[in-house]
Amino acid sequence: MSDKHKRVLDALELREPDRVPVMDLMNEFSTSNAILGKKSNPLGRLLQDERTSRIMDRLLALPGSARLTDRELERFTHLGAAAAVRMDYDAAWLSCFPVLRFRDSRVMNDIFGRLCDVSVDAAGNLANPIYREGLIKTPADWDAWPKRDIFRLPEKVNRVFHEVQAEFGDRLFIFAFANYGLFENTWQPMGFERFAVAARKEKGFLRRVIRFYADLHCMLMEAVADAGVPGFVHTDDLAYKSGPMLSPRLIEELFGDHYRRITETAHGLGLKIIMHSCGNTTSLLENFVSWGFDALHPLEPTAGVDLASVKREVGDRVCLIGNLDITHILVDATREEVFDAVRQAIRAAGEGGGFILAPDHSHPDISVERLRWMVEAAHEYGTYPLRLQPEVAGESRG
Amino acid sequence: MGEYLERVKRVLAELEADDMGALVREALDAGEEAADLLGAMGEAMVEVGRRFEEGEYFLADLVLAGEEMKEGIAALEPFLAAGDRGAKGTVVLCTVKGDIHDIGKNLVGTMLASAGFNVVDLGVDVAPEKVVDAVKANSAQAVGLSVLLTTMVGSVGEVVESLKGAGLRDSLKIAVGGACVTDEVVERYGADAMGRDAVEAVRIFSGWMA
Repeated sequence: MSDKHKRVLDALELREPDRVPVMDLMNEFSTSNAILGKKSNPLGRLLQDERTSRIMDRLLALPGSARLTDRELERFTHLGAAAAVRMDYDAAWLSCFPVLRFRDSRVMNDIFGRLCDVSVDAAGNLANPIYREGLIKTPADWDAWPKRDIFRLPEKVNRVFHEVQAEFGDRLFIFAFANYGLFENTWQPMGFERFAVAARKEKGFLRRVIRFYADLHCMLMEAVADAGVPGFVHTDDLAYKSGPMLSPRLIEELFGDHYRRITETAHGLGLKIIMHSCGNTTSLLENFVSWGFDALHPLEPTAGVDLASVKREVGDRVCLIGNLDITHILVDATREEVFDAVRQAIRAAGEGGGFILAPDHSHPDISVERLRWMVEAAHEYGTYPLRLQPEVAGESRG
Repeated sequence: MGEYLERVKRVLAELEADDMGALVREALDAGEEAADLLGAMGEAMVEVGRRFEEGEYFLADLVLAGEEMKEGIAALEPFLAAGDRGAKGTVVLCTVKGDIHDIGKNLVGTMLASAGFNVVDLGVDVAPEKVVDAVKANSAQAVGLSVLLTTMVGSVGEVVESLKGAGLRDSLKIAVGGACVTDEVVERYGADAMGRDAVEAVRIFSGWMA
């Protein structure tokens, strides 16, 4: 086992590693390209340019255009792994997500029923699509929705992660991301207004959808484990800025048993599994632990999550991952501010192990220079036994 | 007659409406005044907001109540007089340019309407000049800007600058909301307040336009 794997495993199993591990979410072409010194990918530029976009409109309407998109998205997984290794991260969240289908150069849907706007970042890279609305409003829509591409997803995920694990797996603890979580994949393809009504009045319909995606998740984890990847991310934004989107009681009623089945399946396959939920998740912490997740991410500071409080509440039962701010600290903060933020996070959650330092999300404007400062600061402050007693408070870096 | 008002208020506040439109039509047939029914629904939404703030209700509950409220208003619409709605003032709402997320914005719109505001909802991905035009055309007293994407938060500043350029800023209040909005964003781009959720948004606008 490599030092990095041991370091990450120690943290996940709530032991003190040699130092606090560092990981990142490799979810942006722009960040990975910048790390590797590569130019933006051509697809984004072709879609953005007014003349070439008209040609792309015709090309994307041809049968088989999905293969082009899938290849680009599969390349993304390799790119992210290479960038994570270059950054000397201990672990990385790698996305394999060949689920997008262009309608034209401006609009796409995914195979689950989301309608999205195509998004291209400032550097001309294809960026994460921007959710517009759901396409599956009724049980009849669900029955009629073509699911062949969904059934094919585990095979694609298995193939890509076999390649990535073989090439990078000895230098990186990989957490595979291969599908949206149960809550997101239930509400987004129908829209939140429709979901809010169905959650009270059409629970039978929702239960069919939730069970389908729980089954898919289990098969995706089989595919990932078969590839030799050690970790899996269940990304499911259950909260927003000021709290859960749905009552914890209703979340438990509709989703709880399925989350438990997912974590039991992961553990049976030898996978470690992260629950990622943006927003203020403070009132859901006990749920996350009871469902059996090994780690929680991102513990978002700008949503009011206090890392030290989370550590006190559940830090002896679950590993914490995060919570470096991506609105300021990793975008335009000074070196001193980045070092201070890292030190504060390690002080809040590092004691006794069970903490992995990471950005609290990803977006194209994150600064690679500040990510490097994050790694540098983690190496400086994160060596166990920690020496971050109150007397060093106020210490600063120039 | 008054029992219908109580029933409308109760089922909306308790999130128990099976078909709000049908209930409102039944109440109208029974002789209830449209304005009274609108008032009852407004009171129910105040109660829903109170329960949300106290942690009894969650975002999905607010949205459900908002959807029921919209059904009720649609049934009432043909019977409402011009002065029955929007008496508290006019708010222009939109999701800023470059962003198309609208759950929060829609909810704020519904809550403001139920609280007696006239809401001009410009939709999503709205250019600053459209906000300026809407403020002028509707003599709005306030603007609500929604932004979820961190990469688009600068669009808030563009709206504020456009309103300044049009000479409207001094007579106008601007509130911002959305996942990426912080106090620092409010200060950096020259807005007046940040709302963390729809209930807080109603309180902010009510404070400005009481």
